[in-house]
Amino acid sequence: MKCARFSYHRAVDVADAVTALAEADGEGKLLAGGQSLVPVMALRMAAPEVIVDVNRIPGLDHLEVHDGVLRAGALVRHAALAGQTLHPLAAAAARWIGHAAIRSRGTLAGSLAHADPSAELPAVLRACDGAVHVAGPGGSRRVDAAALFTGALQSDVGEDEMITAVELPCPDAWGFAEFARRHGDFAVVSVAAARFGSELRIVVGGVAGTPHLVPAGDLDGPLDDARVASLADAAADDVDPPSDLHGSAGHRRALTREMTRRALASVAATPAREPV
Amino acid sequence: MRITLTVNGEQHRLTVEPRRTLADALREDLGLTGTHLGCEHGVCGACTVLVDGEPVRACLMFAVQAEGCAVATVEGLAEPDGTLHPLQEAFSVCHGLQCGACTPGMLMTAAHLLAVEPDPDRERIRAEMAGNICRCTGYVGIVDAVASAAAALAQDERP
Amino acid sequence: MTAADPSTADEHTTAGEHRPATGTPVRRKEDARLLTGRGRFVSDLVLPRMRHVAFVRSPIAHARLDGIEVAEALDVDGVHAVFTGRHPTIAPVSLRAQSALPGYVETDQPPLARGKVRFTGEAVAAVVADDRYRAEDGAEAVIVDYDPLRPTVCAWTDPAEITDPVHDEAPDNLLLSRTFRAGDVEAALAAADVVVARELTTNRHGGNPIECRAGVAHFESADRRLTFWSGTQVPHLVRTQLAELLGLPEGDIRVVAPDVGGGFGVKAVLYPEDVALCLMAIATPDVPLKWVEDRVEHLLAATHARDHRYVLRAGFAADGALLAVTADVWCNTGAYSVYPWTAGIEPLMAGGLLTGPYKLADYECTVRGVATNTSPSGPYRGVARPSTVFAMEALMDSGARALGMDPVALRRRNLILPADIPYRMPSRLVDDSGAYEACLDRAVEVFGLEAWRSEQARRRGAGERPLGIGVGIYNELTGLGRAASAGPRMPFRTGHEACTVRVNPDGAVTVFSGVTSQGQGLETTMAQVVADALGVDYDAVTVRYGDTDSSLWGFGAFSSRQAVIGGGAANLAGAHVREKVLALAGALREVDVADLDLRGGQVHVRGQEKPVISLAEVARVAYLQSDRLPEGFEPGLEGTKFYDPIRGAFAAGAQLAALEVDPTTGEIGVLAWVCVEDAGTIVHPVIVDGQIAGSIAQGIGGAMYEHLVYDDEGNLSTGTLLDYLMPTSGEIPELTIDHVSTPAANPTGVRGVGEGGTLAPNAVVAGAVADALGVEVDDLPVTPARVWELVHGGGAR
Repeated sequence: MKCARFSYHRAVDVADAVTALAEADGEGKLLAGGQSLVPVMALRMAAPEVIVDVNRIPGLDHLEVHDGVLRAGALVRHAALAGQTLHPLAAAAARWIGHAAIRSRGTLAGSLAHADPSAELPAVLRACDGAVHVAGPGGSRRVDAAALFTGALQSDVGEDEMITAVELPCPDAWGFAEFARRHGDFAVVSVAAARFGSELRIVVGGVAGTPHLVPAGDLDGPLDDARVASLADAAADDVDPPSDLHGSAGHRRALTREMTRRALASVAATPAREPV
Repeated sequence: MRITLTVNGEQHRLTVEPRRTLADALREDLGLTGTHLGCEHGVCGACTVLVDGEPVRACLMFAVQAEGCAVATVEGLAEPDGTLHPLQEAFSVCHGLQCGACTPGMLMTAAHLLAVEPDPDRERIRAEMAGNICRCTGYVGIVDAVASAAAALAQDERP
Repeated sequence: MTAADPSTADEHTTAGEHRPATGTPVRRKEDARLLTGRGRFVSDLVLPRMRHVAFVRSPIAHARLDGIEVAEALDVDGVHAVFTGRHPTIAPVSLRAQSALPGYVETDQPPLARGKVRFTGEAVAAVVADDRYRAEDGAEAVIVDYDPLRPTVCAWTDPAEITDPVHDEAPDNLLLSRTFRAGDVEAALAAADVVVARELTTNRHGGNPIECRAGVAHFESADRRLTFWSGTQVPHLVRTQLAELLGLPEGDIRVVAPDVGGGFGVKAVLYPEDVALCLMAIATPDVPLKWVEDRVEHLLAATHARDHRYVLRAGFAADGALLAVTADVWCNTGAYSVYPWTAGIEPLMAGGLLTGPYKLADYECTVRGVATNTSPSGPYRGVARPSTVFAMEALMDSGARALGMDPVALRRRNLILPADIPYRMPSRLVDDSGAYEACLDRAVEVFGLEAWRSEQARRRGAGERPLGIGVGIYNELTGLGRAASAGPRMPFRTGHEACTVRVNPDGAVTVFSGVTSQGQGLETTMAQVVADALGVDYDAVTVRYGDTDSSLWGFGAFSSRQAVIGGGAANLAGAHVREKVLALAGALREVDVADLDLRGGQVHVRGQEKPVISLAEVARVAYLQSDRLPEGFEPGLEGTKFYDPIRGAFAAGAQLAALEVDPTTGEIGVLAWVCVEDAGTIVHPVIVDGQIAGSIAQGIGGAMYEHLVYDDEGNLSTGTLLDYLMPTSGEIPELTIDHVSTPAANPTGVRGVGEGGTLAPNAVVAGAVADALGVEVDDLPVTPARVWELVHGGGAR
């Protein structure tokens, strides 16, 4: 399991990275944490001719909140995300990712660009209705979470583009629940729930090619047990999950109900946030 | 490509292909075969080393990415005079190893855990060591060893 | 310290008492190197001029090979050679696992595929290059033309549906079948008060040691010697087999198994890749060739196990007596009859041990080994018995429900008891252990069965998360002697083992043992046994093993045999050399040998504290001062002994666990897990508990997580560790291990413990989930998805 040959470019800044990708003419690949890309290369299921290593680009590891939105640089590692208190939902979700040696390398932007439907952070981005900033040969653009994930392992980030920053609005209340086969595994089903004022957003991971937003509508009353249960039922009814080695469609649907219930219970239990 | 990296305090200059993993550079180019390869796709944890103090799967990092970094491997755990690190000592006493294939990764993961969390309970140890697969021990001895090393290290810290 | 100088005699000897090494948790000799990154694994080996090998593996399960194009691969930078099955060195050679079992169909396994491929992952070509990266570059450039045939994946496929048999010699894919018969089972069933029936399947999984397979083959042209460093469990067997297959004198082959990173049976096989590597080394003399298997190769092509189906009936009397068992068993042997154990390894073990620790007179069991287009099945820790214990305990649970009896009481009613020993099982194996009830009693006590039953009832009453209790009682057939050797009537008997004990001129001791170690700590155990048998300190003993050039003979690691048989040989050799030492000491000091004792490296007159002579001085005379040698003594101080028992030693064990089930998610939580085993005399308590804990964990892996899944086309769906799930410290619960100890009738009193722990978890997990939910669990592994289906998809009783 050794990678095929490639040439290596250590990017000094975003422009350099984007130029290198453009020059690779579709045969280049960005290397950030490498926790998803390198295994695929080791299996020779991917053999990019050019690897553009963005790990040394300065200034991409910032984490700060402006106007209730967490702005994170592309190179924020899962470990940093898990350890911050600015965005508790992102922190909670990041703690579910793999293990220490994976969280120390894997990056927020890398996870979003990789767009694994079972991964935690795409579900969080969608639940928070966040966005990414993408740099390309033609300049920079902003892509909403709704548009970012286009299919399983497919995102609206071009082969000559790079996510440079991530915007994650901070919810007023939040919850995250996951069912995995083993500690640190990808989710069989995960649910990220976020309440912004009266808007409740429930996103289910692992049940479709992209994170699945359950139409939950506005919370017109208290999020009591009955409401949680009916929302959990609605989520289970709304998903159309696949069957695979780790769970049948019926099982995933049941897990969707239960994980939604658990995530919403956390939402209901989130203490009112201090005004910043 | 020419790279310079420090391993266990010693600086090395190497010429490597970009595709060469850090694990292979350590094992094949530097002869530090203590770092083992169990899966080469980032799941088993046998190749875990510390890069600038952080645990890393050495099979998922290219050697060229370690340019200028300080790498710590199992060979550097014991004192130069051969005195075992409290983790190594505890792994031996608690039978936290059998075949020794997962052991280097276990030790480095545990070393990082105890560096950031000196007093983990058994449940925390089980959770944090879960990125390293052992096929021999059933983990009983490993959890015992990490708990025992934590206690020994705490004792050492005491004035 | 060494045993050399009486003035430095340690605390053990000054008091005139020498504490035996046996029974104490001495520091493992292996640890110093394994903990510091100084292990010596095959994958670490570097030799001058060494080149690296990558195999080209078939991406499809069953196809005719229409041609292999290697020109492009030979053009790849760093590639030196590409071998195929047609290479003149390789073409004439086949592995052919032999058995005298009537009706067994012998088949060939080529080192590299010839004519056709029979499973996904079969090696069709091998690329030799400067390093593994370039070898894989070359492998990618080899073009193979496959003409697909219809694959068979399932061993219980209707034979009428087989259009393209795996081997022409077996048109119905049946490589062997045997019926075990005792008494009159139909009459016994007719007389039974209740008859229960079960249909069970167990899940294919495998050993997956952290170090995959590895080999370095070096053929030196000047003296035509082959050295094969291999992560094998059976170096002497490999040497014999290589000599046969390669046409080399056995004395010109050296097989070295240095530190080996786990084995579990997977490495007790001589693989086609091993043979190909050696043949290629002969074809490229003086260039060592190294192959280190990667995990994907391991999952595809190292032996699998436990892909079985059981169709069962059992008859019970109203008082719970087990009257009859009938069983139809299918074992998926994969594409080849694994060398040298044959396709019979699992089916025959299944039929021979199915009835386990239970008394039974009327038994009929037909086992079949069926070839399919999947990776070959081979030995994996516990060989078949994790499946058969599951099957037998499922019958017990069904019987208890049908009779309205307590499941533990029903089992107790049928156990082989001390008064029954020796007990001839219906398969005619002779059981020498009557410790089943003692193990069960102790397990029930340590587990606190009554308290768990109360908690179960309380939860039921309160509508809380259901709790179930699972039971598994088993016998582990260990240290098989010549009467019931491991393997189905193969051309060799695996009952014996040799050991050489040498006192060096300085009085320290070197042991040359035929055992091998893949983590079991045999280096330590052998040193303990010899230290006590000879009469020296543990620290004075060094053990060399795993090298056919240094030890006379050993069959290696399988069937939980090494502590029993290798330990027996070490004990005999140590005692033999002790006699020599005492004889020489007596002659030198003019003391009657009968009055002398050797302990802590010092020769004493019994009852006297002050030694008369040190072992070191005796050794000095024996090697360096022949002028002082009394008449009739030959120089040197060494002895070699074989231990060759007739029968093995059965080891008893019982496991109990409390599991809770979340009916909404199917998640299973382990609340308590207790195992009590009879390991006989325990040489190293910590190593023994480590063997038991590790084997339970592997058993739990097989019961709940690990599953090698093929699709209908014979593609492995679980080809990486992202899909093949081995349990971690996050899944394996705290384990409570306890012992009863009835010494076996062998020189050390030891019963083997390498496998026992794996035997019960299938039964325990399935039984506990069934108990919790009131369902029958017929298929493994017991995953959350399966539990959820059992709760919500019908199946409730």
